[in-house]
Amino acid sequence: MRTVLIVEDEWAIADWLEVLLSENAFNVLVAGNGREALDILHRETPDLVLTDFMMPFVDGAGLITAMAQNDKHRDIPVVVMTSLLEHVVKERAGKFRAYLRKPFREADLMKVIGEIFPG
Amino acid sequence: MTSDSDRFSTGVPGLDTILGGGVFDGGIYIIQGAPGAGKTILGNQICFAQAAQGRNALYITLLAESHARMIGHMRRLTFFDEAAIPDRMSYVGAFKTLEDDGLRGLLDVVRREVRTRNASILVLDGLITVHEKARSELELKKFIHELQTQAAFSNCTMFLLTSAFDAEAYPPEHTMVDGLIELQTSLHGRRAERSLQVHKLRGSWFMGGKHSYRITESGHAIYPRVEALLETPSVWDSADGPMVSVGIAGVDKMLGGGVDTHSVTVVLGPSGSGKTTAGLQFLTGGPADEPAMHFGFHENPRALAIKARTLKLSMDERGDKISLLWRPQTEAILDEVATELLGAIKARGVRRLVIDGIEGFSKLTDEKTRIGSFLSALCNELRALGVTTLATAETDHAGITPGQPLKGVNQTGLSAVAENIIALHLAALRSENHRLMTILKSRDRRTDMRMRRFEIAEGGIALDEDYRKAEVILRDISSQGPAPAPLADLKLAGE
Repeated sequence: MRTVLIVEDEWAIADWLEVLLSENAFNVLVAGNGREALDILHRETPDLVLTDFMMPFVDGAGLITAMAQNDKHRDIPVVVMTSLLEHVVKERAGKFRAYLRKPFREADLMKVIGEIFPG
Repeated sequence: MTSDSDRFSTGVPGLDTILGGGVFDGGIYIIQGAPGAGKTILGNQICFAQAAQGRNALYITLLAESHARMIGHMRRLTFFDEAAIPDRMSYVGAFKTLEDDGLRGLLDVVRREVRTRNASILVLDGLITVHEKARSELELKKFIHELQTQAAFSNCTMFLLTSAFDAEAYPPEHTMVDGLIELQTSLHGRRAERSLQVHKLRGSWFMGGKHSYRITESGHAIYPRVEALLETPSVWDSADGPMVSVGIAGVDKMLGGGVDTHSVTVVLGPSGSGKTTAGLQFLTGGPADEPAMHFGFHENPRALAIKARTLKLSMDERGDKISLLWRPQTEAILDEVATELLGAIKARGVRRLVIDGIEGFSKLTDEKTRIGSFLSALCNELRALGVTTLATAETDHAGITPGQPLKGVNQTGLSAVAENIIALHLAALRSENHRLMTILKSRDRRTDMRMRRFEIAEGGIALDEDYRKAEVILRDISSQGPAPAPLADLKLAGE
């Protein structure tokens, strides 16, 4: 079973994603912001990180940068989900695998995940 | 009193005026109102206004709509600036922190985020959730106190949005914050009217009472109550200058040469008596290069232009020196209309104004007791702006009756606003209606107050120079006796 780390400061969105991904046979970890996500990454190695961009303490850009600096986390694919335009995220964040513009639908998310984990 | 250099504009039209000059740096303010009152829009509008000035704004939500939905809604508003996000305007959710770590955790988020983002504006959306999470009144007070300290030491102005309000309860946070702004919606018949009230503002005078506001595609537009805003006119009226023609030669003569500059003249009369015509003559009766404006609730600009052409009045020839402002009475707000009118007058440098149907203002509010002081403030401001005004007002058709030539003409309250009052009458003599005019009032002026008969023809109102024609009509009305017996042999067309 693959593990997805959800990093989201809006609890309702985090809850929705947690339920959705659990129903789709993923093991789900949830962090309320980038700082909590980095704490989790110290002890867990998820297969995918789904992260919001504007968050307290450590934002999406900070999380991506910190992951890129760590050999253990560098290759974990990151999907940024945000209301910001894609070019705004690209200008501020390092490498990420995919971008999801909020609000998105379940099918949009599953399509992106399907592309990252084909088959 | 704190220095004005410590204040900044909220960027919300009308709000700074009500706040006596904006909000204070490092102050903490509560904005409260029922769901749908527009708190979120107001909070965002203030943030984006600051972001536009190069300051950093932070919007923290608790149990509010999701950021994606909020941003989606804000995108439709003209103040929204996509380019400001996330550097100058950022959204952060903190409900989970509040839920997990309590008020202390939320304070930590606020402190860190304000510092990290160098925010000078913070909106905390959902104070009611903090209220509910607080284990005691003391804990809530401590939370507000610590926020105040953070606001002061970080020079970050904070706005706390909440839907909770009980005017009788005096929640503890109300006593602690620097300002308390309430957004309300009240029903007048089937019409809903929004109003804003500042209950408290530390360190400054503010305009008390309720002020109407509207939420448009530009966000909040707040209209300070005209009689409060113009309690004293904005500038001093010099009130000197040549007399002003009313555009009707006979009336100028009766008035001893015209009306005083910067004065207000009211023309009363029933429907069809010639008020709008008198207004058009006044409008076109000044120097060709003098900016003039017609403001009306009833006839639209096209109808007025046709009427002026029919009467051969030189409105078209004056081009943009004459402007026509039409405001249907549908869903307009009294103070909004007055603000719009005064703004247009200032923008165009208007010196000659016609208000066609001054009673229309009273139809824009259910608070009829306001109208006297509203009109007084408006007219004082018009004088101060150097505008000479002619306003028409509709009366009923009681008209001329024997021994009581002015019966049916309601002058209540007009003396307070008008230097001159001219009455138009429709006098029925047998089957014919005659138009009569009289000057009821002309302040501090020797006036010919004898009634005149007049006609409306090419060129507008043409007044009899001789008052005796009017006397003949009045005499014949007095002696015409009761209506004739039914005319048994009268056949109407088609019978």
